[in-house]
Amino acid sequence: MTASAAIELDHVTIRREGRVVVEDACLEINPATIHVVIGPNGAGKSTLLSAVLGQTAFAGTIELRFRGNGLVGYVPQSFVADRTLPVTIAEFLALARQKLPVCLGVRPAARARIAEILARVGLAGMEHRRLGELSGGELRRVLIGNAIEPAPELLLCDEPATGLDPDAIAELDRVLCGLRDDHGTTVLMVSHDRAQVRRIANRVTYLHVQIKDTGPPAKVLERAGAASLDEAMGL
Amino acid sequence: MTWLYGWWIDLARALGLPEAYCYPFIARGIVAILILAPLLGALSHLVVARRLAFFSTTLGQAALTGLVIGVAIGQPLDATYTAILGFCLLIAVIMVFVRRHTTLPPDTVIGVFMAFTLGLGICLLVAATRRFNIHQIEAVMFGSVLTITDRDLILAIVLGLLVLAALVVTYNVLLADSLSPPIARARGAPTTLIDYGFVVIVTVAITVSLKIIGALLVEAMVVVPAAAARNLAHSARSYLGWSIVFATISGLAGLFISTSWRVPTGGAIVLSLSAVFFLSLPIGRLLRR
Repeated sequence: MTASAAIELDHVTIRREGRVVVEDACLEINPATIHVVIGPNGAGKSTLLSAVLGQTAFAGTIELRFRGNGLVGYVPQSFVADRTLPVTIAEFLALARQKLPVCLGVRPAARARIAEILARVGLAGMEHRRLGELSGGELRRVLIGNAIEPAPELLLCDEPATGLDPDAIAELDRVLCGLRDDHGTTVLMVSHDRAQVRRIANRVTYLHVQIKDTGPPAKVLERAGAASLDEAMGL
Repeated sequence: MTWLYGWWIDLARALGLPEAYCYPFIARGIVAILILAPLLGALSHLVVARRLAFFSTTLGQAALTGLVIGVAIGQPLDATYTAILGFCLLIAVIMVFVRRHTTLPPDTVIGVFMAFTLGLGICLLVAATRRFNIHQIEAVMFGSVLTITDRDLILAIVLGLLVLAALVVTYNVLLADSLSPPIARARGAPTTLIDYGFVVIVTVAITVSLKIIGALLVEAMVVVPAAAARNLAHSARSYLGWSIVFATISGLAGLFISTSWRVPTGGAIVLSLSAVFFLSLPIGRLLRR
């Protein structure tokens, strides 16, 4: 284990209702890299991300070593909110960007930042749309925008490309690489998008309850083999 | 408090309201509703957003049990706030603790506590009525403006201001946590503190409202305004605004109905709230076209 790692998992085991979901995982994630976790459905990928976020109990040690602003961005796999709740995109994004209660209005400074965020994720001018009116892809773009501004030191993404069209996926790639290269953000991501993994990942971990393999994307995907690759990617 | 009552009496006369609305106890009731209804209305949109409607019903029942416990330990019948608040806080905190430490769905956990508080309340009530007439606690069960004292109003103002201050300071974090706890937590929000803190705020607000609205009906005041507002609102801002407007209008309408037809204030307020909710349904549908 090295002290230079941004995230270090040491013998992490996660149980859910008596069942072992992740077993004895040891992993180091380097700073300013995009590290993708792949594996079939039910392999424990989202649970592992949740444990890193501190939302799931685990045995072992997970150490997050912050050297910059200490901000954590998170793009969840699903948005659990009640979609009929009358909250606009601007109000949702303002929640973390102003002290004034958003029910009393969105301040001009926050409004300017929100306009910039929405432009980055291809939703310019949609500030006043309700969250409940958005399609799955649009909502995912809002969640991505919320997670990337201000640039976090650690970004956790759970299948961020789900529901996005090809142009939006290409834009997501640019955003993630930009965060890594320009801001030194460490990105830990769960993905089922094989092509995206090849394009942007620095390292890949193949998880199937236990960590089966970790290394450069081409090697891990290659070692997984054509037959098991589909299983690895949950296809 | 005399100036406050004087203000209302002058206003009632200027509006040409019947002399009955200038009686001191009515003035006290109006002032109490003008303080509590907007507060409960504001709280209601967060209660509904955090899916705590059923939880509020349980708190109302716990208040009844708290009242009986207060009487049983020797508190005067018209001053059992400490017993009610103490018991409600205890139940609220235990309920959140159990909900956070079990895999059962939240409504199942709340249902268990609702049954427990009701069962305990009924047993204690029957035991306590051997010592006093059950009609003496009707005011707390169903609400009555007749029993509001200056001390009740001062308590409502002080606690109301504290609740309001807590809401202003924590609003954004509360809403963020209601929308997505994982995102809020990633942003550094103390979600555990929020969970417990919000139920304490709701418990305090419900306790100070008991004398007007009643233990059995108070949950309506923290659920129905938001339910009606949701039919019309497009944003969090209008959601809050409509919730406050509906709670205040229904509170005042309930008081007028109660005074005119001599029915319990709580019941009249709840009927007014229900009427507002059912009116908001077709209006909301029209607005969405």
